[in-house]
Amino acid sequence: MAQRLKTDWILFGTVMALVFFGVVMVYSASSISAQLDPRYGSSWHFVVRQAAWAAVAFGAMMTLKRTYYRKFQNPAVAFGAIGFALLLLVIVYFADGRHRWLHFGPVSIQPSEFAKPALVIFLAFFVTWRARAINNLRYTLLPAALSVGLLIFAVIVPDLGTAMVLGGAAMAVFFTAGLEWRYCFIVGVMALLGLVVSVAVEPYRIARVVRAVDPDYKILSKVDPHGTIKAHMEKSLATRDTNYQSEQSRIAVGDGGVLGLGLMKGRQKLMYLPEAHTDFIYAVVGEELGLLGSAGLLAAFAVIIWRGLRAAIRMQDDFGRYLALGVTMVLALQAFVNMSVVVGMIPTTGIPLPMISYGGSSLLTTLALLGILMNVAEHAG
Amino acid sequence: MRRLVYLTVLAGLWGGAIFLKLFSLQVLHHQQYARMARGRQELRIEIPAPRGTIFDRDGQPLAMSVPAESVFIDPRKVDLEVASGLLAGVLHLDRAQLYGSMKQALENHRGFLWIKRKISPQEAANLRALHLRWIAFQRESERHYPNGPLAAHVLGSVDFEERGNAGIEKSMDAVLRGEPGRIRLLTDVKRRGIESQLVSEARPGSSLTLTIDERVQFMAERDIAAAVEEHHAVSGSVVAMNPYTGDILALASYPTYDPNKGPRPGENRLARMNHAVSVPFEPGSVYKVITLSAALETTPLTPDSLINCHGGVLRLPGRVIHDSHSGLGLIPMAIVLAKSSNIGAIMIGMQVGQQNMYRYMRAFGFGQRTGIQLPAESPGKVRKLEYWGKTSLASVSMGQEVSVTTVQLAQAASVIANGGMLVRPRLILKKGDRPVPPAQPVRVVRPETAITMRQMMEGVVLFGTGRRAKVAGYSVGGKTGSAQIFDTAIGHYTHTYNGTFMGIAPLTNPAIVAVVTLNGTHGEGGFGGVAAAPVFQVVAGEALRVLDVPKDLPEPESPPKTLVAKNEDMDDLSIADLGSNQPNILEEGENEDGGQGPGASGQGVEVRSASSQSPVVPNFRGMTMRAVLTEAAEKGITILPDGSGVARLQDPPPGSALHPGERIRVRFAR
Repeated sequence: MAQRLKTDWILFGTVMALVFFGVVMVYSASSISAQLDPRYGSSWHFVVRQAAWAAVAFGAMMTLKRTYYRKFQNPAVAFGAIGFALLLLVIVYFADGRHRWLHFGPVSIQPSEFAKPALVIFLAFFVTWRARAINNLRYTLLPAALSVGLLIFAVIVPDLGTAMVLGGAAMAVFFTAGLEWRYCFIVGVMALLGLVVSVAVEPYRIARVVRAVDPDYKILSKVDPHGTIKAHMEKSLATRDTNYQSEQSRIAVGDGGVLGLGLMKGRQKLMYLPEAHTDFIYAVVGEELGLLGSAGLLAAFAVIIWRGLRAAIRMQDDFGRYLALGVTMVLALQAFVNMSVVVGMIPTTGIPLPMISYGGSSLLTTLALLGILMNVAEHAG
Repeated sequence: MRRLVYLTVLAGLWGGAIFLKLFSLQVLHHQQYARMARGRQELRIEIPAPRGTIFDRDGQPLAMSVPAESVFIDPRKVDLEVASGLLAGVLHLDRAQLYGSMKQALENHRGFLWIKRKISPQEAANLRALHLRWIAFQRESERHYPNGPLAAHVLGSVDFEERGNAGIEKSMDAVLRGEPGRIRLLTDVKRRGIESQLVSEARPGSSLTLTIDERVQFMAERDIAAAVEEHHAVSGSVVAMNPYTGDILALASYPTYDPNKGPRPGENRLARMNHAVSVPFEPGSVYKVITLSAALETTPLTPDSLINCHGGVLRLPGRVIHDSHSGLGLIPMAIVLAKSSNIGAIMIGMQVGQQNMYRYMRAFGFGQRTGIQLPAESPGKVRKLEYWGKTSLASVSMGQEVSVTTVQLAQAASVIANGGMLVRPRLILKKGDRPVPPAQPVRVVRPETAITMRQMMEGVVLFGTGRRAKVAGYSVGGKTGSAQIFDTAIGHYTHTYNGTFMGIAPLTNPAIVAVVTLNGTHGEGGFGGVAAAPVFQVVAGEALRVLDVPKDLPEPESPPKTLVAKNEDMDDLSIADLGSNQPNILEEGENEDGGQGPGASGQGVEVRSASSQSPVVPNFRGMTMRAVLTEAAEKGITILPDGSGVARLQDPPPGSALHPGERIRVRFAR
């Protein structure tokens, strides 16, 4: 089959460029803080790890790129992936105080990341399997809601942002599969309710939402003249940082201007910008490379989304189509949510920018997903 | 696949929105965010620029800036209980108050709190001995006036940030202040410096050399203080100036203050007021000099022209004018001035006329600021012609209905002294090393008029009301004045007086003009001839000695006996509104020591202050300049510092008797 299949060079080239760019930006964003931090002591600390992970992830991508995607169209694989992801999430819930990290010697992984490929494969399988009765409540929707919901719920605990991405991708896939509008509506309302509830239980999340809409509390002070909501919001210590993060991020991006301060010359990474090399790396890009860099990066993601959706549209095989769609949606949601947070359009949510942010698990799963997408794209012609 | 297209469109819209927001941040609002970024990332450090020194005309420092240290801490990094207890103890602060301010700073998440600014070297040494890392020091500079209150009203003072808030310090602040240098420091979020860049070097303030002579100033202050106290006056002022250049050699105002110390509650509120330039008063008889000058210029009158003094009583529409001694009939104009006849002056003023009177009043500089480089100068008050009443010409002729300042009188006297030119008084001799040229003088009266006036003014001192102003060895001309103070509340003249003496010496070639004013004296002892003239004698005498002016009279072997006849000291009062039923209160009795010769008053002061106590010269050796100046200021001793470093030599040596007003020369070396 290999002779007739044609690699999507546009997609492949963009991904390779982004990974390389990501390693460079991780170095730029982390070198000073890594050097100043006695725990790391070397400016190369993060970039060496990121490069090593990139090599591993590249191997995974190339393997999956050469693996015929239909091999995943198998109940054992689909349910096994979900089960494995859930297992990891349960382990990490008990193993790590913050329910986020699993440590294997020098390597640490983030199980919530592995929920992404699991969900994508499961969705594609499930939707293809039940394609003819997609709107059947008892035999399609309830089981799907249960399994998908379980996974999402397991992810919510450590990582609300990733859970939102997963939920969004699942909705997109079902929507494309022809879910009736009323079910779309119901799911939408439920998702919204879930979001509201999960925001309401944590004061700092309320504060993030309020501040994104009303940074100076002008509206809030009218609605709530006694300041009870404000007092509730500020109960949590993390609250104080949220506005700070968002403001510092906007300052970094705005200070970049059109051409930027120059690679490595950014200043906000001098600990003004928290998580400069992870969740807020896009702000460093905007500061150092200006509008050219930030808009260029946005365009690169647009290219990936375009190639993904193009493959989904051109695909004759349902499983391949939903696989391509799932991958594209997971990546697009992550990228857009992350960028929107950095420019201050939506409240702070801890989502890394795929391929650019520092983080091995994220890089590995992202490239794995892209490997699957590339294989699908080859078959889409 | 319509639904996939929906998703594609949705993704496109979202991406577009992100791009628009990027455009807004990075292009539309770039400037604003760049400013915010600089504000947060950069620390601007000021390198303080030393404030310029103020010297007297001989180069003696009158005001100088010495380094001082201030203490601050980061309240987040200390145990408040321990820190407040410790610092309050060492720095003599109130512990509870210090604890409160620390706690407040902590609650506001401030990482910086001044504990005490400009601490003494002793306190600094004690603090350093603790070797605590959280106590931080900042070098600042503190203004010091080595002579304490000397020339306080000329120099003024500075506020805590070393900005001038009075006197020369205020008016010349821009020159003295200099420009602090700036360093831009790129810092991380914990304010640790990453990279620094020198934006501008500190430019030290320019020094100023004043026209003031420290020695004349000292005499002026000492004698005006003694005169005010002796005559129970409210305040007093002296201005001594060079009539040709306008250089002010001494400008004193009493009560005075120590500019090293800030204002404190209960302080005499007159102390920080400069009575020589800011407080106008009715001049009274001294103004007759202007009246007579105008007469010489505009009428055919000469010093020998006979003036009818109507036997001491003149009825004008609505009021009656009295001379303080009855019985002056037809007398020459020179005698009108010498005896200070009010009626004579009015008769002369009538001949001059309103127009000319007003013109000369303005020409002599009244009713307008002299432009002396001091803040809050009063222009005095001169009524415009259209507001003159029926008797205004008469009032103005004898120095009423016009108010003037001491420095304006000195300016006017200079016109007579220098041959008819109006010279603006000035205080700044040099800015840095550059001499400041005197302003261009303007002719006011003909030279002949000025010379004639000088001759007539000599009569005042020789046989008139100003005999106490005589200076041994020099010919002196002058004019006394004792104006009743008009109480605006009751609309009447009261029995308190402004006693003034305005004098010129030596008359053959005037070198010095001095005006002495005592405000609010009570009784006849406070008249210009009695109270103010002796101050003139001392100040003018000192100025002539300092300027090394050759004597123009043979010096008498023994103090000359000046015969002061009964009453004649009192002659110069302008009586205005006392009414005919109260004839001359001033003729009643004279109880003061009229028979003493010149210098009597000055000696009196000398004796008094010497006998009060005799302090001993302290030992300054081994102390820093700052310590020396601080101690000297506390003890009221004047120091002449020389060099820098630690005090090595002093003259007079420690332990010797300290004479009042004596200055101690201290030589500093490293």
